[in-house]
Amino acid sequence: MNILYNSGTVLIILGLPFFLSGTVGLIRFPDIYTRLHALTKADNVGLGCIVCGLALQSGSWAVTAKLLLIWLLVLIASSASCHLIARSAMHKNIQPWTRS
Amino acid sequence: MSYSILTCFDILLILTLLWLGWRLLSTEDIFKAVVLFISFGLLMALAWVRMRAPDVALAEAALGAGLTGPLFLAALRRMKRIHKGERRLDSDENRGEDHEADPEQTQAA
Amino acid sequence: MSWMHIFFALVLLPAIGVGMIRILRGPTAADRMMTAQLFGTCGVAILLLLSAGMGNPVLLDIALVFSLLAALATMTFIRRTWRGSGKKKHEYPLQ
Repeated sequence: MNILYNSGTVLIILGLPFFLSGTVGLIRFPDIYTRLHALTKADNVGLGCIVCGLALQSGSWAVTAKLLLIWLLVLIASSASCHLIARSAMHKNIQPWTRS
Repeated sequence: MSYSILTCFDILLILTLLWLGWRLLSTEDIFKAVVLFISFGLLMALAWVRMRAPDVALAEAALGAGLTGPLFLAALRRMKRIHKGERRLDSDENRGEDHEADPEQTQAA
Repeated sequence: MSWMHIFFALVLLPAIGVGMIRILRGPTAADRMMTAQLFGTCGVAILLLLSAGMGNPVLLDIALVFSLLAALATMTFIRRTWRGSGKKKHEYPLQ
């Protein structure tokens, strides 16, 4: 039990830098596509780490199933809206940023 | 220990909410205000959770994120169309009237 | 109450606050909408951590509603607000 709890804590701590780096990327990146990249990928990995950590700590199957369902829904929503935003940005002829 | 951290969390949440509300009311761009309003709804749900009212937080999350935000965005598009010119508005209104006239006729029949 | 989870939630809250700069400064409308999406994801994470920290499993349901409705605002934005008003440049369907 204690080993499970501590490994869950480690997983949660591992997930926090992903969230912070996602926000930093949203602020610092130069382009809408790069910002989308930072936002959706980093945040979903961070949320996955936190969900896995909390599921290890919860100790009940019902809570674990609900946590995984939440993560799955966030994954679907964020990937769908990321794809939509990127495609309509391409339609509006917004050029990707190049180092120059 | 736990309570002092909770107090820090509450103070930070309240400051963020106040700043958000001020920017929301003082901005001139309507689209920016709508996005700020959606964010305000999300943070307000967190505030309701901290006030130990999870039911109100549930309603705030469902209404703020699911209903009010999309309604405002759709209304914004309609407003832009109205600003664009009279012809567009006329065709829209005609289409709307036709659309509304249909169910009345079916009801009368 | 476990102070650890609440402390992690406290760490995540500035991520939301700093992201607001992008709403105020974003050059295109999509940047502002992306920030609302960031708020949704961070809000779900904070709710999960608060649920463990305050020992209240009801908060999981609120996080579920958050994640269920997260995509709705973005999709309305793409389909209703951000597309040009009526001009069709491409033939293949966007929606």
